[in-house]
Amino acid sequence: MQLEGRHISFRYPNASGEVFSDLHFRIAGAGFHALFGPSGVGKTTLAKMLTGAIRGFEGEIVENGVRRVLYTYNLERLPGWSNVRAHFEEIAPSAGRSRMDELIETFGMEASITARFHRLSLGQQNRANLIRYLLQDFELLIMDESLANVDELTREKIILKVKAMFPDRSFLYISHNVAEVAKFCSQVLVLRSPAKAPQVVSVQGRDHREGAAPDPGMLERAMLEIVHAA
Amino acid sequence: MLHRRIYQFFIIYFLGVGLLLALKYGLSLSDYVIPSPGEIWRTGRTYAGPYLLAVLNTLAVAVLGHIVSICLATMVAILGRLTAWVGSFIRTAAFNIQAYPIVAVAPIIFILLGDGLASRLLIAAMICYFPLLLSFIGVFSEPVREIEHFFESTGRMTWRLQVKIRAFENIQKLTTVIVGSATMAMVGTIVAEFIAATAGIGYSIRIALYQSDLAKILVALFLIGIGTSLYLVSLEWIGNALQARLKRT
Repeated sequence: MQLEGRHISFRYPNASGEVFSDLHFRIAGAGFHALFGPSGVGKTTLAKMLTGAIRGFEGEIVENGVRRVLYTYNLERLPGWSNVRAHFEEIAPSAGRSRMDELIETFGMEASITARFHRLSLGQQNRANLIRYLLQDFELLIMDESLANVDELTREKIILKVKAMFPDRSFLYISHNVAEVAKFCSQVLVLRSPAKAPQVVSVQGRDHREGAAPDPGMLERAMLEIVHAA
Repeated sequence: MLHRRIYQFFIIYFLGVGLLLALKYGLSLSDYVIPSPGEIWRTGRTYAGPYLLAVLNTLAVAVLGHIVSICLATMVAILGRLTAWVGSFIRTAAFNIQAYPIVAVAPIIFILLGDGLASRLLIAAMICYFPLLLSFIGVFSEPVREIEHFFESTGRMTWRLQVKIRAFENIQKLTTVIVGSATMAMVGTIVAEFIAATAGIGYSIRIALYQSDLAKILVALFLIGIGTSLYLVSLEWIGNALQARLKRT
């Protein structure tokens, strides 16, 4: 999988300033990558450009080996007319159904799987939403704050399991948590304001996986690089 | 729910009657202008039976007209959500058409369709149709993005699913609008009967007006209030049962 943005400039209609000005980026390979940056810098806008939801910008996005990009965000809701399991069974393609129970267990959702979505806590809602996307067919899944309101330990367990379960898929993880992106992601795209050049700085993360202990020194260095870049 | 509506109706009705009687005795008006309580009671006992049948007749037409309006508004609103242009056109047209008072349009309907059931039904449907349509278009044209996003991005969205999502998310609003428009259906039917029909409680009120018999009109109003309250309570009960069933865990 390879995704490359070339000379991207974009301004929302009637907005005073540009969101992106001659932006370049490149993401390559399967695994967890991150889009990091302060609020309002354009992370969600860039994610929507990657999915094709925003068009009409200058420059181009070149995709290689990316047939389907899905975008999920933390405010999504499941329909309220059925419980979470019934919804999963309805939307899971036959290929993804075998993984459903494994994901439900990993995400700690067994106890609440028969409840309606509005009965779940915010963290459970975000986890339920992410599971249904993981059951779909995709090459790149953009996760926009998808694990917000989930405790740190569960979040770590989920990310490690997802990496192990989907080694050939790509994930673009949008988060404000510098320690998390430095630890779990292989490539961290730090998005900065249009006043700074270049607008995107790529930092190498530690890409921590199951069964391997992260080197604290290297992790600290990656975190510092991300903070400096931002 | 029923007793609350009936209490509310009784309070308003008896306040109105009390005000009339206060006027009668305060200004020493004759029984010919405002009947005495005894006269109202005697009229009530004599005419309660036929007037009750007339109210049921009116109620049946109002319910039928209301159902026709709901079905029609649902269909048009579903079509209206297809494109922004169609939705906008239907909304503007509905605003313009509902600006005409139905009593001004009713004579045309009676001239074309006669004074039978069809005219009463059409006027009842028309008077509650446009408010229903405007609300329904609003509900069915407004995306529920946080739910629809998944189905759209995974290519699963169909028009049926979209309608289901929007109706489910706005079920309380739809129920309120339907209950609110029920009163208008009843009013529309009575107005139609009052103008030209030959059946229903509106027709009975017209006859009572020609006879200058206020006692009959007060009896008719009492039965209309009871009938309308029962219909509204039935609709509220159906709406609540539907919502409870949909949201049950």
